[in-house]
Amino acid sequence: MTNVLSFFRGPWTIAMYTWREGMRKKILIAFLILSLLVIFGSNFITAFLFETGSQSGTDVDTKLIKDICVTAISLFGVLITIFISASVVPNEVDNKVAYTILSKPVRRYQYLLGKFIGVQLIVLLNLALMGALFFVALYIKEEVMPSLLLMSLLLTYFMFLIVSAFTFAISCTASSAVLPTIAGLFIYITGNLTEYLKDVYERAGQTTQLLDALIGKTALYLWHLLPNLKAFNMRNEIVYAQPGDFMQIERIMMLVSYSVIFAIAGFILAYWIFRRREL
Amino acid sequence: MAAVIETDKLTKIYEGALKGQDVTALKSLDLEVREGEILAYLGPNGSGKTTTIKLILGLIFPTSGSLKIMGRKDIGANFIKRNIGYLPEGAYYPEFLRGEEVLRFYGQLYGLAGRDLKRRVGDVLELVGMSRARNRMVRGYSKGMRQRIGLAQALVSDPKILILDEPTTGLDPIARKEIRDILVRLRNEGKTLLISSHELLEVELISDRVGILYDGELKTLGALSDLLTDRDITVVVAGLTAQARERLESGGVEVEEAIGEHTTLRVPSNRNVYEVIDLCKAANASMVSVRPRRETLEELFVRVVGDAGDQAAEKQKETAK
Ligand SMILES: Nc1ncnc2c1ncn2[C@@H]1O[C@H](COP(=O)(O)OP(=O)(O)O)[C@@H](O)[C@H]1O
Ligand SMILES: [Mg+2]
Repeated sequence: MTNVLSFFRGPWTIAMYTWREGMRKKILIAFLILSLLVIFGSNFITAFLFETGSQSGTDVDTKLIKDICVTAISLFGVLITIFISASVVPNEVDNKVAYTILSKPVRRYQYLLGKFIGVQLIVLLNLALMGALFFVALYIKEEVMPSLLLMSLLLTYFMFLIVSAFTFAISCTASSAVLPTIAGLFIYITGNLTEYLKDVYERAGQTTQLLDALIGKTALYLWHLLPNLKAFNMRNEIVYAQPGDFMQIERIMMLVSYSVIFAIAGFILAYWIFRRREL
Repeated sequence: MAAVIETDKLTKIYEGALKGQDVTALKSLDLEVREGEILAYLGPNGSGKTTTIKLILGLIFPTSGSLKIMGRKDIGANFIKRNIGYLPEGAYYPEFLRGEEVLRFYGQLYGLAGRDLKRRVGDVLELVGMSRARNRMVRGYSKGMRQRIGLAQALVSDPKILILDEPTTGLDPIARKEIRDILVRLRNEGKTLLISSHELLEVELISDRVGILYDGELKTLGALSDLLTDRDITVVVAGLTAQARERLESGGVEVEEAIGEHTTLRVPSNRNVYEVIDLCKAANASMVSVRPRRETLEELFVRVVGDAGDQAAEKQKETAK
């Protein structure tokens, strides 16, 4: 027990300080203000668009608000996730804080674990704040469906976790945040396109030509290998939700495990890269 | 005295992206840092000092050769790290934290907590003279204050070994002196210090032994008193006649250009200084001073590195043929 505690003490200390540093970053506040503007702005836009105030107008307009907000949260959230995940390690390698930390009784995997947990805390807090804003905006519109919203935020976080883990792994090769940030965006975009891979497989399967078959097989393997980030998107459920709707708990558990497995793989990759890295 | 750090043919080659871009930063280094000493690790920029230090700390890995710290070879082990304090070259500390918070952070990494942590942080702040600035943000610190916090950070666990990479570079003379005083105090408390520097004067005053590194090779290692050769005697006289001057020169004395009345004579250690004095007396020159002239570390440095430079030049010529 004391062993377990002492193993996690270093990472935890590092995580807390990473979190503190991250919270001081102006960019986080900027994103939060931006999401504030979008979320409340969407109220005004819809009020402006559907001035008639007819029955159907209200319906369309809350749908639009929800749509804008859900998209804004996941877009801003993923940008912050990528940016933070890409920068925590390279920054400390660059300014040599990593040297001083690693010269203390902290192993490299403990250092990475601390950094990674710190990133997750920042991402979670940020998501929670944006979610709270969204909630307030809907509350004003008397369209509150707290449980569905909460589930959606939860799944959004687990989508971020996958992006975060792989961006973090790539950042372990770098001493500046630029390349890993670009890589993170790439991961996010690719991860949202994996469904097309299945399309490719199915269409390629229709001919019997060798090249087509090859492309089809490759697409299939990639489809299995790459994380499908779209699966975490609950935009439709939220936008078209009816009172009394609820998420299937099995589906959520599935997605959460799916995300955790990818996150662990990403972290192992990060460690494998960082283990013998020359600082 | 036991060696706390020992390197054996330690070699580091940084691999370049292309063949032929490899940099041999350290060539077969045999270095020994003994318990309780201040070893000054000297060399011009790019000679491999930081490389050596990073190898010792396990931040980079040797190409060949090996090293032992406190008799152990598992360099990254926490046991070893617990006993080493390290100040990197030109380090930065989290700007958004207060001085005291920085030290608390590093202290926590050693497993310090609660009252122990508080006491240790207070002690090291006191030691480096930063007690009054403890609650200010690192962002507002001067260069000297940052360096002090860096030193405090290295000391927070009260380690046996201190490894400081250019601790006084870029500081003003007063700050340098204060840091030097702290280092001597630590040595007197029984700590072992390895201090790298490219500024000789900085460490000449405080080191027990010096190692001179040049182009990745350790050119010399030993106590200063052993390394500095026999010294000349400098005689300064006034009103030396041209005739007497000629006689002195023919007798092997180096005569410098007169500055005003005064002429400086360098009497090599193999010459009897009394003969020179008698000669001056006979020539009616008046004595201004007679004093032994110690070879400075700078001169030793030029001598050691100068030879290396000459050898390298010759080698190149030979290969050119
Ligand atoms: N990461 C690196 N990659 C390639 N070459 C390096 C690297 N670090 C240092 N060098 C080279 O190794 C040599 C020694 O550098 P260093 O140990 O930093 O010297 P010092 O600390 O004595 O100024 C220099 O020629 C330097 O350019
Ligand atoms: Mg250096």
